[in-house]
Amino acid sequence: MANAQQTEHVGLARVLGPAHVWALGVGIVLVGEYMGWNFAVGKGGAYAALMACWFAGILYTCVAMIDSEVTSTVAAAGGQYTQAKHIVGPLMAFNVGLYLVFAYTMLEAANAITVGFLVDTVATMTGHEGGLDQRPFIILAIMFLAWLNYRGVLATLTFNLVITAIAFTAVIILFLATSGIFTTSPLQHKDLMSGPAALPYGWLGVLAAMHFGLWYYLGIEGTTQAAEEVRSPARSLPFGTLAGVMTLAIAATLTWYVSSGLMPWEYLGQAGVPLFDAARLSGSTFLMVLLGIGTLFATLASANGCINDASRAWFAMGRDRYLPGWFGAVHPRYRTPYRAIIFLVPIALIFALGAPIDQVITFSILSGLLEYTFMPLNIILFRKKWPLESIKRGYEHPFHPLPAYVLLGLCGITFFAVFLGYGTQLVAMIAFYIVVSLWFHFWRYRFVNRGAQFTMPWPKPRGY
Amino acid sequence: MAKYTAPVQSKIGQIVDVIVLLIMAIGALYIPLWMGMAGSSKEPVAIENPTWEALGQNPVMVGQWEKLGYSDPASAAELITARFDYSFSISSLIVMIVVIVGYYAILLRFSEKEYRDVIAEKFGE
Amino acid sequence: MDLWDFLEYAAWAASALFGLFIVIDWIKTDSTYSEEFLTSSREGELEALTEEQHHRG
Repeated sequence: MANAQQTEHVGLARVLGPAHVWALGVGIVLVGEYMGWNFAVGKGGAYAALMACWFAGILYTCVAMIDSEVTSTVAAAGGQYTQAKHIVGPLMAFNVGLYLVFAYTMLEAANAITVGFLVDTVATMTGHEGGLDQRPFIILAIMFLAWLNYRGVLATLTFNLVITAIAFTAVIILFLATSGIFTTSPLQHKDLMSGPAALPYGWLGVLAAMHFGLWYYLGIEGTTQAAEEVRSPARSLPFGTLAGVMTLAIAATLTWYVSSGLMPWEYLGQAGVPLFDAARLSGSTFLMVLLGIGTLFATLASANGCINDASRAWFAMGRDRYLPGWFGAVHPRYRTPYRAIIFLVPIALIFALGAPIDQVITFSILSGLLEYTFMPLNIILFRKKWPLESIKRGYEHPFHPLPAYVLLGLCGITFFAVFLGYGTQLVAMIAFYIVVSLWFHFWRYRFVNRGAQFTMPWPKPRGY
Repeated sequence: MAKYTAPVQSKIGQIVDVIVLLIMAIGALYIPLWMGMAGSSKEPVAIENPTWEALGQNPVMVGQWEKLGYSDPASAAELITARFDYSFSISSLIVMIVVIVGYYAILLRFSEKEYRDVIAEKFGE
Repeated sequence: MDLWDFLEYAAWAASALFGLFIVIDWIKTDSTYSEEFLTSSREGELEALTEEQHHRG
C-alpha cells in the first residue's frame, strides 16, 4: 500500500498471459453451448440451427480477424470503445461503450438466472419438496463473482481458466461417450430429423435461426477488454481470440451433433439446459453429474468474464468523462476498476431478478449485433485513415475489405432474423440508443476534453 | 483552433447523469414488457385427443419423448404444435430498415463532426 | 427443514458476507486515498509502455 502511495498514479496491473485471454474469451461464450443456442432449433429446426451455427462461425471469424488487427494496435481497456473513439468519433464510441456494458451485463444476468434454475432442478431431482427460493442462489452467484473481480484480475481469470477447461472437457467427454466409438451410439439423427422435422419452417427458418445462432459465440470479442492487463497485447490478443473462435466452432458443432441426435426438435427448441438433458437421455449417471457440473461452471465462468469486461468498458468511459469521472478510479491495492464493478452489481441484480430470460438474452444479442455492425465501418475507416504503411500493426488481417463486407452482410441477415418474431424489441432497443445518442451529443459531451481523449501515439489521420 | 476546456462536473450533476442513463436503459427493456409487446409470437394449435401419429411423431421420436418424461401424447401436444408466426408486412419491414439505417446515419454524422474537433485540437492547425 | 432449506439460508448469508466485504473495503479505500490519486489512471500511459516494449523487442 505504501508503495502504491509513493508512485504518483495508479493504473491497472499488467499480469495476464495468452491462456488468460483464451479463458476470458471462451469462458464468457461456452455457456452458449450449455443453454440458449438451442432456441435456434426452435426458430428453424435442427438443420437450420447447424447452418446458423456455421454462418455465425463465419461472422465471428470476420469479427475476430478485424478485431485482432485493430486491438493489436489500440491496446487499451475499453476495447472496441477505445477503438471507436480513435477511429470513428466520440458519439460512436459512447454507443459502442454502452453496447459492451449492456451485452455483458445482460449476459451476466442470464447466467445468474440459469444458476438459479439449475439449483432448483437439482433440488427437485434429489427429492426436495415445496419448491426452492431461487433468489439467494442468483444473488450469491453475482455477489461472489463481483467480490472475486474486486479482489484482482489475475485470480479472477485463473479461476476462469480452470472452470472453463472443465466445462469444455465435459462437452468433449459427452461427445466421445455418445459417438459410438466405444459402445453403440444412442444417437438417432436419421429418424429424429426425417420428414417435416427436417426443416419445419422451410428456408425462412434457416434465416430466422441466425438470431440465436449468434449465441454460440456471443462475447468472444470481449478479449480486447483485457488489453491493459495483458503482458504483450500485440501478440496475446490475436492469438487468444483466434484460438477461442476455433475452440467454440468445435464445441458448437459437437453440442449440436449430440443434442440433435437425442431430442426431438420441438423439445430441444425450448429446453432450458439442453446439454444436461442430453446427458440425462444418454442413460449414464456419470455423464449426468458431469454435465450438471459443466453447466454450473460454464455459467459462472461466463458471468465472471462479463463482470470483468463490462466493468472495464464502464471504467474506460468514466476515465474519459463520457460518464461521470467518479467511475474512472482504480483500486490502489487490487488494481481493479472497483467503482465500476460495484456500480454494475445492482444493475445485474435488477435484470436477473426481474426480467424473463429470453428477453434478457435478446437484449444482450441485440447489443452484440449493433456492435458487430459497427466493426466493418471501423476497419474500413481504420485502413482509410491509417493505411498499412503508416502505423505498425501487431497483426494484419488478410483479404481486406472482403471480411468487412461479409460481416456487414451477415449482420443485415441477422437483423432480419431478429425482426422475425422479436421485431418490437428490436425497434425499442434502437429507439433507446437514438435517445441516448442525442442526450450524449447535446448534453454529456460538454464534459469531455477534446484533444486529450486521443491517446494513441499515431500520426495524423489521412484526410483531416 | 482554441483549446476546449471541459467544465468540471459537480457531484450532484454526476449523480443526476447516472440516474438519467439508468432510467433510459431500464425503460428500454421494461416498457415493451409492460405494454405486452415483447417476446416471441409462438402459439400452440389445439388438437383434440392427440395421438403420436396425428402429431407427426415416428416411433423413435416417441421413444425419446417418453424418456424425457412425456408419457402420453396430450402432455407433449402443446410443445409439438407451437409454431412461430413469421408472416410480416412489408411496411413494418421498411420501418425497421429505416430505423436501423437512420440510427447509423445519425451516429456517423455526429461522430464525424465531433471527430474533426478532436483531430484539430490534437494535431493543431 | 432439509438440506436445501439450510443451503438457502447459507446462500443468503454468504451473499451478505461478500457484499459486506466489498462495501467496507470500498469505504476504507475512498477515505484513505485522495480522489486525484484514485482517478489518476490514464489511457496513454499504458500505451506508451507497450510502444516501449515493441521497440525493445
